[in-house]
Amino acid sequence: MHHSSFIIICLSIYVGVSLAQAREKGQLVFLEGLKDSIGAILQEESSQGTQHLSYLRSPGAGLKGLFRFVETSVSQNGARDDGESWGPPVLLIDDLSVLLSLGVTVGAILDFTLYCQATVCTELQGNMVILVRCEEEDVDDDEEGANLLQRGLVHQCNLALHVEGLPTGYCRDIHGQMQVWWRQSGETMYNPRKIFHFKVHDKGASFFARGTSSAVL
Amino acid sequence: MLLDVLQGAEAGGFILIQDTVKCTGRGILKCFINAALKRGEDVHVLGFEASETEVCAGLDRSCVQKLHFHKGFPDPLGWMCRSSFTVDQLTSQHITKLIKDSQHVKAPVLVIDSLSLVLRHHDPVVISQRLQELRKGGDVKTIISLLHSDLHLQGVVGIVSHLASTVISVAPANNEHHAVATTTRRTKSGKVMQEEEYFSVSEDVTLSVQAKLRPPGHVQKEQKVAEADPASNLTFNLRLSEEERKAKEKVALPFVFSKEKKSALLRPTPGSGRIMYEPDANDDFDEEDPDDDLDV
Repeated sequence: MHHSSFIIICLSIYVGVSLAQAREKGQLVFLEGLKDSIGAILQEESSQGTQHLSYLRSPGAGLKGLFRFVETSVSQNGARDDGESWGPPVLLIDDLSVLLSLGVTVGAILDFTLYCQATVCTELQGNMVILVRCEEEDVDDDEEGANLLQRGLVHQCNLALHVEGLPTGYCRDIHGQMQVWWRQSGETMYNPRKIFHFKVHDKGASFFARGTSSAVL
Repeated sequence: MLLDVLQGAEAGGFILIQDTVKCTGRGILKCFINAALKRGEDVHVLGFEASETEVCAGLDRSCVQKLHFHKGFPDPLGWMCRSSFTVDQLTSQHITKLIKDSQHVKAPVLVIDSLSLVLRHHDPVVISQRLQELRKGGDVKTIISLLHSDLHLQGVVGIVSHLASTVISVAPANNEHHAVATTTRRTKSGKVMQEEEYFSVSEDVTLSVQAKLRPPGHVQKEQKVAEADPASNLTFNLRLSEEERKAKEKVALPFVFSKEKKSALLRPTPGSGRIMYEPDANDDFDEEDPDDDLDV
């Protein structure tokens, strides 16, 4: 099994490993945004301990503090028990749309993700996974808001997964459909899209091509 | 026309490549860089959004020393204080100094990747003024820039497009191996020409263009669909018999007059009432017939 160092902000996906143990070992760095935010807002001045949540007090200032937290955490080369260092980092963010509702501008969020990508992916050869919620396609407001954020992120990313319910409504055996959108840089300018259906289980999910659910085959 | 723009690059030109999430324009941008390098021109790239490795991948190795990559990415905003070029430094003074420091023979090509990040942090009017200064200043031969048109307001895209001498918009085609480029070119005389072409970018960053044709896999035969008779197969009768048709044609419509009837009606008949009108002091009496222009 390949060990990588994890950084998770507000984790809400159960991945089937012991997160408490990972945290003790230094493999997992967990920023509990929800818990720490109360402290950040109620304090008189922003102290060293809550610099990464400074956007909560002054959302117009941007996410430089949050990025510094990410940068420090990924750059720590903690050693494993057997003396080897952790592999390339993985940054999971759940979820960026919350920052929009807190008053942070789309531009500031896109700057933050650009810097994270530069540090985690380009410099440290790690990976980044971001969750963002979108609104319906035909909402007129394309100045600010979730749709503009989504477009900005799609421009920056290598792979976009668009998850939604089935257009035909609720189904017991198929929980939704997912569009896989490869965005390859450079030579290939066409972006092939594939659609899969999926079903969520207790510890994971299964994916299959449309029309090939085990319930109908 | 796309290939002409690629090979031509006339002095003082500003080429704007617009893309969206559906189709990326960085491929064409790299073709422009490669074409300029092959022509022996110096190329200065202001890389804000993509790394040097990504932008330079596939470019012609033999001309790579004529390429000067100014590393905005990974620190385009100066947060980590280790950038050689930030978005704030897109001014004519900074660019001129950059170019002078690089010891060139003639005015180089300036490539901006991308203008979207710059416009996110600066007023579009100010950026347009700076770009115009660069064009007129003579230190830069051509400016080529990428813009993500779906990340800005229509007005902002319009401001920058207006400044450009050539705008190339890319969009996906039905075919997975090509994309569509719409090239709008404004000549010095003010004439505007536009053309849509299929194009593809190869692995060695060469652009190949096919003229816009119907894609062979999608030829649609225009079939004449026989018109169905709407009056058939009904439970009521919508048709006319011969007598009924003749009677219908004989009916005189109430307000369609023949010429004789018209003049008869308009002629005053003897013995009919006369109108005696004596205008008041306040009345504006006009001798002209107000109905004169009616075509009845």
